[in-house]
Amino acid sequence: MTAYLIRRFVQMILVVIIASAAIYLLLNVAPGGPLSGINLGADRRSRFSEQDKRRLEEYLGLHLPGPMRYVVWLLGEDWLDDIGRPDWQRLSCRAEAELCSRGVVRGDFGKSWKIAQGVSVSDLINNRLANTLLLMTSSTLLSLIVALPIGVYSAVHQYSRTDYAVTTFSFFGIAMPVFWFGLMLIFFIGGSQSWVYQTLKLPYLPTGNVTSVRDPLPGSLLNLLNAQPGSLADRLVHLILPTIVLSLLYMAGWSRYMRSSMLEVLRQDYVRTARAKGLVERAVIARHALRNALIPVITVVTLQIPSLFSGAILTETVFNWQGMGRLYVDALFSEDWPIVMALLFITAILYVLATLLADLLYTVVDPRIRFA
Amino acid sequence: MAVAEATAESLLTLREESRLSLIWRRFRRHRLAVLSGVVILFFLIVALLAPLIAPYDPLAQDLKLKNAGPSREHLLGTDELGRDTLSRLMYAARISLFVAFTVVLISETIGVIIGAISGFYGGWVDSLIQRFVEFMLSLPTLPLLLALSAIFRDVTFPGLSREWSSAIVIVLVLTSLQWITASRLVRGMVLSLREQEFTQAARALGMSNMGIILRHMIPNAIAPVIVSATLNLGGVIVVESALSFLGFGIQPPIPTWGNMLQNVQNDMWTQPAKAFYPGLCIFLASLSFNYIGDGLRDALDPRLKL
Repeated sequence: MTAYLIRRFVQMILVVIIASAAIYLLLNVAPGGPLSGINLGADRRSRFSEQDKRRLEEYLGLHLPGPMRYVVWLLGEDWLDDIGRPDWQRLSCRAEAELCSRGVVRGDFGKSWKIAQGVSVSDLINNRLANTLLLMTSSTLLSLIVALPIGVYSAVHQYSRTDYAVTTFSFFGIAMPVFWFGLMLIFFIGGSQSWVYQTLKLPYLPTGNVTSVRDPLPGSLLNLLNAQPGSLADRLVHLILPTIVLSLLYMAGWSRYMRSSMLEVLRQDYVRTARAKGLVERAVIARHALRNALIPVITVVTLQIPSLFSGAILTETVFNWQGMGRLYVDALFSEDWPIVMALLFITAILYVLATLLADLLYTVVDPRIRFA
Repeated sequence: MAVAEATAESLLTLREESRLSLIWRRFRRHRLAVLSGVVILFFLIVALLAPLIAPYDPLAQDLKLKNAGPSREHLLGTDELGRDTLSRLMYAARISLFVAFTVVLISETIGVIIGAISGFYGGWVDSLIQRFVEFMLSLPTLPLLLALSAIFRDVTFPGLSREWSSAIVIVLVLTSLQWITASRLVRGMVLSLREQEFTQAARALGMSNMGIILRHMIPNAIAPVIVSATLNLGGVIVVESALSFLGFGIQPPIPTWGNMLQNVQNDMWTQPAKAFYPGLCIFLASLSFNYIGDGLRDALDPRLKL
């Protein structure tokens, strides 16, 4: 087991390094780049000269050859004597440590280029992480609580009316474009122009954001609850719509998984044996079938862990939820590569860790599986 | 005796002949799959005939008629630049379906070949390919797709217009991750096929490895590939529209179902058709492909698990 773990860890480190190097190089050879549009719309006085551009490149470290830049990004520059910085910036890293990057391996993801110029990427992540964690955990938990029992029930009562409904639901959920579903929900129950408010005269939900900034308008649910901006009630009400969208999406997939894996197990001989022994159907399902049927589900749920960090890109965009997914899209849009790299790097690490965790959990649930 | 032999013979040939019709008969039993087939056929016809049947030029703006509601002239109304929504939907079907079919065709072909080679040869070839596949699988899909399309957003191919360049970029980006599932599927099938007697027989008859792969491995492993390809068509349509929606796919003014939903949030209450129909098309196309895949699985081999 120890040998296996060591081998896995070595593999994981290799995967992360190769993947991040590949992305880093791709980002850097891509046409465009952070300085490409810098003179757009600039008049003669505010134009950046070639010299200015070169200084900016040197400041951002863009003048180094690609592989060297990756090494600096990964390991930091404070151990290098001369990294080719311009004269006005050539200071000793030992004296002014905060000017030199310490590298990703020591938790320094650099500074944002565009979205929040000069702010460290770690600070940006810290600001967003809580929002994403809140959204992702609530929808993950909600969908697990609903999807697993539904899946089991629908497998036990295969071809029943409920089973048919569940299968249809999961087909719809899998085919549904999340962003459109979000838009339609907003159309029907979000905002003062929504159908719920205009036609049914019921309180409406906020269409986006994590909290409100102003006092709620009359007619909204927030106003009904008298929720002050930033209060707990305010946050919870804002959470409703994005959570519904994400949970329905996850439920569709997970209930189908649970169902097919349960069906598979119920066909096995030992289930028949358990029934033949005269066990109550309840016990057959709960004690004998469910335990084995959970194995494939564990993988799926464990692989969900990285998303708790990286967020839901589409849902966060539709609901203007200031989380990690939104940050990623915004960073990609403004070619803010330090942020993009940081998010991809952390997500990749969480991904490989989650894969390992899933494999290890396999051995716990099914002791027959051994790794060597 | 002779009669029995003749009956057996005719039964055998009969079965041989009716393979396709047997599949069709089984497929027909899945009502939703047949209905979905009709829906997809409809989409395909509209897409092919779009230049003939679209009432307006999808790019023609009529600034006097911005965000108009449905009327006799504009059946589904117009968008914020006064372009006819119905015509845009029809032209969008061309791009969305073209991207979906091309991606699936290319990636399944690549996947089948790589999977067959990996499973058939085994040894270091297999472990090399499998390590790479595991590597690709250990990366987050949507963030990676977004990053790749952001990186190659400005790539243009010489001799191609901007919209076709960006369509090809999207096809390549989606293909780069899509072939993996097919390759794993085929590898698994080939691993068991190559141990069977007919493979030994083929080898004993002096068939080359490549010949065995092409004549025996791939045809025998094709059924699950067809099913998964159909299911993937639905997936690719959704992913492509998501990329376009976020602004990383095919760029406006060229309409795709995904990018027609960009920025609808501001005026979707005054002009609901603009927000409703593009999404409905994505949903219907993807749902139909899923049902067809489901029907094909039942028709080709009910024991298939995908």
